[in-house]
Amino acid sequence: MAKLQRKAKGERPTFFQDPNVDKVIAMVMGLAGEVAVMHDRLDTLERLVEKSAGIKRGDIEKYRPSAKVSAERAAWREQFLSEVLRIVEIEQEALASGDTQDYAQAVALVETKG
Amino acid sequence: MSNVTPLTSQAQHSALPPTTHDEFARQEFVRSYKQYLVKNVHGTNHLAYEQRVKPKIEREKKRPPKDRFEVRDAMVQDPHYQMFSALLRTSQEMMWSACQIPVQRELETLNKKINKKRAKPHGSLRLNPTLEIPRYHTSVDIHCQPGGYHSEFDVNDASAGMVYDRAVHIYAMGQMGPYNNDIGASIALWVKENYPAFKPLRILDLGCSVGHSTVPYVDAFPKAEIHAVDVAAPMLRYAHARAEELGKKIHFSQQNAEAMDFEDESFDLIVSHILLHETSDKAIRNIIKECNRLLKKGGLMVHAETPQYKGMDPFDAFMLDWDTRNNNEPFWARSHEIDLKKLSKQAGFSPAKHIETLIPSAFQIAEAKRSLTFQGGDFGGGGFWFIYGSEK
Repeated sequence: MAKLQRKAKGERPTFFQDPNVDKVIAMVMGLAGEVAVMHDRLDTLERLVEKSAGIKRGDIEKYRPSAKVSAERAAWREQFLSEVLRIVEIEQEALASGDTQDYAQAVALVETKG
Repeated sequence: MSNVTPLTSQAQHSALPPTTHDEFARQEFVRSYKQYLVKNVHGTNHLAYEQRVKPKIEREKKRPPKDRFEVRDAMVQDPHYQMFSALLRTSQEMMWSACQIPVQRELETLNKKINKKRAKPHGSLRLNPTLEIPRYHTSVDIHCQPGGYHSEFDVNDASAGMVYDRAVHIYAMGQMGPYNNDIGASIALWVKENYPAFKPLRILDLGCSVGHSTVPYVDAFPKAEIHAVDVAAPMLRYAHARAEELGKKIHFSQQNAEAMDFEDESFDLIVSHILLHETSDKAIRNIIKECNRLLKKGGLMVHAETPQYKGMDPFDAFMLDWDTRNNNEPFWARSHEIDLKKLSKQAGFSPAKHIETLIPSAFQIAEAKRSLTFQGGDFGGGGFWFIYGSEK
């Protein structure tokens, strides 16, 4: 069977000092994607089981989410991404709320000499 | 609170490669991932810029940053920008991979289906195996699609087109409508509203790829004969099959828009949709000259792009420029800085008939719900398109 080219021609940019950090980000997100795939499969299974007990593997493959189910899954993915990327959201929340003071200042505030 | 429109599903027309349950779920994840970045990660770059990057530049230089290059030099050191960029680049790679998987699984069967002989075709397909693929398409794979538009991996291969049609939907996060036709539909609507007496009888779409932007002209101008060209055979094979499956009459031919075999003054309307930024300085001049040669007097040329950097805040220009270095779009930056009026004048168009404006998106009526910024990774998100062109 003919094989598609998998890597895009061109030097891959890196953004961190250690290029392996870039690779770890890609792995984490790749893993997140596969978890989301498993979630949808489980969701399909649960929805099918609700309707009838004697379901076949082929029923899962044939299953296509309705607009309502798609919207529910999109909402689940958003929540899921929010959990996986919580550390990135923390940065946004700190900057947006002005919570950017050095920790040393809090220590200095409570430690009084004498 | 969400400031992005709800996800729109892609129309499952019969040319689109079928997916298994999990292949579909994997593609849906990438679309959500991209939307999440637009909504929750992209905006933090501006906060980081205002609060720590810009003040640092001002301290060092005793003045605000003067251009996007100064912003870039400082932003690339910011940890949030680094994380955002790594996530966005990864989303792009995952998008292509997720779209390739179902195509690879059934490649030979799918190619046979795309290339099947049709008893009474509406339109036509004319390929030219001797056409040289321009170097601006072979030096790197544009926007990171492995193999670019042009590479072939099987006999009469259409895989690049099959992958692209699905990827466009995911890239635009559904914001170009169920048929990915928003740019063409927006121009068609703009032409009809602004030139009510103009009835184009021959229309040409340049760099049409899978013809997703060409199709809306068939509906908008039912009396017109519609032609579309591209350099890439895999795109055109798929584009032809897609148009036939949708019942749209379009004549596709494999040609470089820099030099086509159509007769002088043979078209009323010539359009392109985010093509120019994927060419080169030399090519863009040739293309506009070709438009001038092919247009009839009283004709119209319209090219859709994202807005020029001129007059843009250095930070916004820097962010819109993300794709130049990080998404294999080497001509993106330069194409956003070209003097378009001068370009047209050199090609023979009258400066008095120059067009440069923003036009509303035809698909997105609820503009207020959109993210309303042009930004790396979300160029369909502005709620409007930038058009450049000329009357002749």
